[in-house]
Amino acid sequence: MAYDKPIPPRGTHTQPFWEGAKEGKLMLPRCKDCNRVHWYPRFICPFCHSMDLEWIEGSGEGTVHTYAVQHMAFGPWAEEAPYVTAYIDLKEGDRMLTVLRGVDPAKPEEIKIGAPVKVEFEAANEDTHIPFWRVVEG
Amino acid sequence: MSVELSCAAAIVGAAEANEIGFLEEPVTALQLHIEAIKNLSDQTGVPISKIDGVFSTGWSSELCEHLGIQPKYIDTTSVGGCSFEMHVHHAMAAIHAGIIDIALISHGENGHSARQVGGRGATNYGRGGGAASPSVEMTMAYGLGGAPSGYAHAMVRHMHRYGTTTEDFAHIAKVTRDWATLNPRAAMYSKEKHPFGGPITVEQVEESRVIAWPMTILHCCMVADHGGAILVTSPEVAAGLRTKPVWIAGAGESMGHSNMLEMDDFTATSASRSAEAAYTMAGLGPQDMELALLYDSFTITAAITAEMIGLAPRGEGHTLWKDGRAAPGGRLPINTNGGGLSFNHSGMYGMPLLIEGYRQLSGTAEDGIHGDPGKQTSARTCVINGTGGSLSTTGTLVLVADD
Repeated sequence: MAYDKPIPPRGTHTQPFWEGAKEGKLMLPRCKDCNRVHWYPRFICPFCHSMDLEWIEGSGEGTVHTYAVQHMAFGPWAEEAPYVTAYIDLKEGDRMLTVLRGVDPAKPEEIKIGAPVKVEFEAANEDTHIPFWRVVEG
Repeated sequence: MSVELSCAAAIVGAAEANEIGFLEEPVTALQLHIEAIKNLSDQTGVPISKIDGVFSTGWSSELCEHLGIQPKYIDTTSVGGCSFEMHVHHAMAAIHAGIIDIALISHGENGHSARQVGGRGATNYGRGGGAASPSVEMTMAYGLGGAPSGYAHAMVRHMHRYGTTTEDFAHIAKVTRDWATLNPRAAMYSKEKHPFGGPITVEQVEESRVIAWPMTILHCCMVADHGGAILVTSPEVAAGLRTKPVWIAGAGESMGHSNMLEMDDFTATSASRSAEAAYTMAGLGPQDMELALLYDSFTITAAITAEMIGLAPRGEGHTLWKDGRAAPGGRLPINTNGGGLSFNHSGMYGMPLLIEGYRQLSGTAEDGIHGDPGKQTSARTCVINGTGGSLSTTGTLVLVADD
């Protein structure tokens, strides 16, 4: 079935991320001066204000920072409700948003903050493979 | 006043983006901003981290977020091409007042490139778009819609960290509704006024329809119609008026982030900083506040705000409502108009906070139109805290009644 959810347009400076995603790699921006990874991708390091940035391949591992269950959604997501959204603490540092997979939206109390998650990619179209995170066995 | 401002501040540097004109490689407005700011920092030797006031026609909090700074003066005056001259005026006033030392006025507009990469030039970096705003680009795929979808994540984190429950937060909705039943202008004043109006119980809050778990609909503010205005004058003008003045003793502002993705601590907002600035200016502290008006977009917003501005310890904001202190007749009345939860919330609730603050401290909160008997408090001091965006930006005021 064709992917029917909103597909992000690819930005001007985020091409390495989307190119990596096509190969199943989670590419992350890192500052060559202070060595810290940041997310979302910047034109400037938000920590030390260097503009000397590079892309590294991330581990694709993280943990659940917090989550919620969306019962009222809009557009194509409305048909999917209820579903779980979550913020993920990346192993490399900083945080990503996701629709969380491998959990039961009907049992939100059973979802654990701190639960280990792994990234997976879904091909929304030929050019855009979107990362989603799935809870895995600790 | 304008004479006092003369030479109160100076322009100390000016720079541009790396490439300007008809660029072959399309750029976003945000990139043009950032390059110019970096070059300005290099030129002047002023580190970006030292900037404490940011003025732009765009969504200034996103600009600050991208830079990783949290200034204490944020201005998005956007009234056309002359906006930047106005920014200078506003910056000068802020510097003269001692609020900030280093003001950044920034512009980035991709009038040419926008034909290829989109974005609405300088007035937005990409809200509602995507390619023009990397924070939107990296979050728009994940099914977050209205405000409740984001705020619910903060409630879950608060519950995890402090052991709070939805029932704890439900007390906020219940008590705020009690206030609304004393305000004939409140949308939820009575069953006669609205089918879901009139008093509610904690159980009803818990059992109402789930919007974004763990929040039911009664944890959420309404979206209604509202218009309001206030007048601020000099003491000299105030002295000649027939209405009572309410003094602005303290004011402060700050921000944490623009997109919730960048919210470092989901149980905290920048209100700790904006309140500290306001209290310091006023020479008063949270212990001196006899009334609090807190933007209650959701019950969790009010609870966290109460903690941030020092009315309750971290993790215990909800106790103000649960033990009745915030309720009609309580020792620290909160949201006496009925709040965004039960009075009115049109989308941006900052104005009703100011109006109720004026009414309470001028003794006009119980005039039969805007209040029934029991609504007027005896408060002589009031703290007001507005929260904007997704628990992103905050403005705090300390008001004091005229003696």
